[in-house]
Amino acid sequence: MDLTFTREEQAFREKIRAWVGQNLPTDISHKVHNALDLTAQDMQRWARILGKEGWHGYAWPKQFGGPGWGAVQRHLFEEECALAGAPRIVPFGPVMVAPVIMAFGTPEQQRRHLPGIMSGDVWWSQGYSEPGSGSDLASLKCKAERRGDYYLVNGQKTWTTLAQYGEWIFCLVRTSNEGKPQTGISFLLIDMKSPGVKVRPIVMLDGGVEVNEVWFDNVEVPADNLVGEENKGWTYAKYLLAHERTGIGDVNRAKRELERLKRIAKLEGVYDEPRFRDQIALLEVDVVALEMLILRVISAEKSGKQSLDVAGLLKIRGSEIQQRYTELMMLAGGPFCVPFIREAMAAGWQGDFFGAAHCAPLAGTYFNYRKTTIYGGSNEVQRNIVAQTVLGS
Amino acid sequence: MDFDFSDDQNSLRDAVARWVEKGFSFERRHAIAKAGGAARAVYNELAELGLTGLAVPTAHGGMGFGAVEAMVVCEELGRGLVNAPYAQAALMAPLLLAAAPATVQAEWLPKIAAGSALIVLAHQERAARYRLDQVQTRAVQAGGSWSLSGAKSVVPAGDEADAWVVPARTAGAAGDATGVGLFLVVKGAAGATVRGFPTQDGARAAQLTLASSPATLLAVQGLPLLEHAVDAGIAALCAEGVGVMDKLLAITVEYMNTRKQFGVPIASFQALRHRIADVKMQLELARSMSYFASLKLGEPAAQRRRALAQAKLQLGQSMRFVGQQCIQMHGGIGVTDEYVASHYFKRLTVMEMTFGDTLHQLGEVSSRMLDTAGVFA
Repeated sequence: MDLTFTREEQAFREKIRAWVGQNLPTDISHKVHNALDLTAQDMQRWARILGKEGWHGYAWPKQFGGPGWGAVQRHLFEEECALAGAPRIVPFGPVMVAPVIMAFGTPEQQRRHLPGIMSGDVWWSQGYSEPGSGSDLASLKCKAERRGDYYLVNGQKTWTTLAQYGEWIFCLVRTSNEGKPQTGISFLLIDMKSPGVKVRPIVMLDGGVEVNEVWFDNVEVPADNLVGEENKGWTYAKYLLAHERTGIGDVNRAKRELERLKRIAKLEGVYDEPRFRDQIALLEVDVVALEMLILRVISAEKSGKQSLDVAGLLKIRGSEIQQRYTELMMLAGGPFCVPFIREAMAAGWQGDFFGAAHCAPLAGTYFNYRKTTIYGGSNEVQRNIVAQTVLGS
Repeated sequence: MDFDFSDDQNSLRDAVARWVEKGFSFERRHAIAKAGGAARAVYNELAELGLTGLAVPTAHGGMGFGAVEAMVVCEELGRGLVNAPYAQAALMAPLLLAAAPATVQAEWLPKIAAGSALIVLAHQERAARYRLDQVQTRAVQAGGSWSLSGAKSVVPAGDEADAWVVPARTAGAAGDATGVGLFLVVKGAAGATVRGFPTQDGARAAQLTLASSPATLLAVQGLPLLEHAVDAGIAALCAEGVGVMDKLLAITVEYMNTRKQFGVPIASFQALRHRIADVKMQLELARSMSYFASLKLGEPAAQRRRALAQAKLQLGQSMRFVGQQCIQMHGGIGVTDEYVASHYFKRLTVMEMTFGDTLHQLGEVSSRMLDTAGVFA
C-alpha cells in the first residue's frame, strides 16, 4: 500500500504539465479559471490542439491512434489539464461514441469517424433523452424504420448538449416494439446536415444556451450508419456508460474550484469568518475523500487484483460536490451575485459589474450546476443502482 | 499509487478474522459487557496471537510492523466488535515510549509485545475536552525523582492496566505548548487510586487520581510525542470504525432482505433502498479516509495532523450517519439490548467522542487549511 506515484508516473506528470503549460492558450485558461463563457471556438481550438498531439482521445488504445495510457496516466493527464485551467473535453465524440465505434462498429465506420473525432474537427452530440423518456430512457419512441438501404427516422430528442454546433449525432432509436422496451432499441449515427434534422436551442435558467431540442422529420439515414446489430443498441449504450469511469467524479476540477472558492472567500472577507470557513473545511474533506475513492478505483484498475464497482457513488458524490462549491462561491459573493448582467459572463466585458468582476458569474454557475444531479442518470436513479448492488435484490 | 494489500497483510487479516470467528462470538462480547467490560482476558488472547507486539520494534521482541498492518488488524477487530483496548495498549503505548530512556524501553517494551504488561495513555482531564495541551496535572521533581498530582478521566481499561502513560506539566499553564512532560506511573504507586467503571460501548474505563505519586520521566517535551500517538490512535479508530460499519451494513442488508412488511421484504421499499445507498456512500468515503489516515501517519507533524483531522472528521460523520440509519432501518429490534445492531451503534458513537469529535476535528481542519486542496495539497 502506497500513496505516492512512481518515478515514472512523476516524470509523466512533469511531461504533461510542461506540455499543457506551453500549449494551452492563456485566453482560454483565463476564462476557465474565472468561470467565464467559453465559446464553441474556444472549445474546438483546445480540442484541435489536443488532437494534433493525439491526445483528444487520451483514453484510446494505440490500435485506434490513441496514446494507450493506463489508468494512472489518464488520471494524471486529467489532473494536469484541470489544474492548468483547460476546458473539459467535450465528451460526446472522444469519450462516448468513439469507444462504442471501436468495440462494435465496422472497420469502415472506424475509418470514417475515428480520425475526425481524434483531431477535434468533427463535433458530435448525443441523442438519448426524449420529452417522454428521461430516467426511463428505455421507453424512448424516436422511430427508425428500415427502408431498403436506409432507415427513415422520425421523432424528437431533447436536452441535447451543444447540438447547435453538432455535425454528427449518435442516437438511440426504436427499431422494434416487440418484447421488452430495451430489446427494440438500435444505435444509429446520424449526419446532422441530413434533410429533416431541426435543432432548437433551449434557453436555460442562467440565461445561457447549452442544450437543445432536436427533431427528425423523415430523415433518411444510410443503413451503413447502424452500429452493431439492430435492436442491440441498449447493450451498446450500457457499454458506453460503463466506459465512463472515474472521470464522472471529476475530482480534479473540484480541486481547482475549491482553490477558487478560497480566493473568492478571501476577496469577499468571509474566509476568516469561522462559520463560513468551516463550510469550506467540510467541503475540503469531501473533496479529499472523493479523491481517495477515485485513487482506489485507479489502483484497482491498475493492479487488476480487485474490482471496485463504485461508478454510481462517484457520480452522486462528484455532482454533490460540484453543486456545493458553486453554492458556497455564490454565498461568498452574497448580494453582489444578485446583479444579472448576462454579458458580464463573457470575457472582456467593459461595462459595469455593479459589484465585482469575480462575482458576476457566481449565481449563473450555481443555477447552471443544478443540472449535475439530474443529467447522466439522476442521482436518484444512481441510488437505485447502488442499492441494487448493495442489497443484491 | 497502490491500495492492494500484500500477501502477508492478507494473512494477518485472516488470522484476526479466524480468531474472531472462533473465539469472539456476540454472546461472549455481550457477557463481558454485562459483567462490567473487563477486557484483560480478551487482551491476553490477542497477545497469544502475537498482535500486541505488532508495533513494538523487533529489537524489543515485537514485530516492528507499520501503520497498514495496524489498520488491517483494527478493521477486523472492529468487524468483530472486540471490546479490548488494543489500539491504546498495543499501538499507542510503544509510540509514547519511543523517546524514553533505553533502560525504561528495555524494561517495558518486551512486556508490551508479550502482552504481560497493559499500558494505556491516561490523558483526559475534566476541563481539557479534546485539546492535548490542556494539561493541569503537575509534575514535581525533588531529589532526582518525579512525582505527579492530578486527575485523569475515562482512562481506557484504566483499572486493568499495569501502568499508565500520564502527561503532566513540568512548567507553564494549561494550554501552553511547552512544559508538558510524559511520565510512566506504575500500578500500585503511592498516592495513585483508580476507580473503574463500565463504558457505554461494553468496555471499561477508570478515573485515575494521583497525589504526589512517583513517576518515571519518558519525555520532557512530551506534547509532540503525545500528538503523534493520538494520531496513531485516530488512524486505528478510523480502521476499526470501517470494520464496525462494514459489518453493521452487512447485518442491516441481511435484515432488510429477510424482514417482511406489507407482504414483501422491506428491502423492496425505495425509501429504504436510497437510505442504504447513502450508508454505502458513507462507508466507502470512510474506508477511503481510513487508508488516507494510515498512509499519512509517517508524514511530518504538520501534514500528518491535517490529514488525521480530515480523516477523523470524515469518520465522525460517517459513523454517526451509518449508526443512526442502520438502527432506523431495523425498526424496533434495532433499539433492543439483545440484538447485535445496537451494540455496533454504541461503539460507533463512543468512537466519535474519542480523540476529538467531529466538531473538534472541523476546527482543526478549518484552522489548518491551505490555499491548495486535495490528497496531495
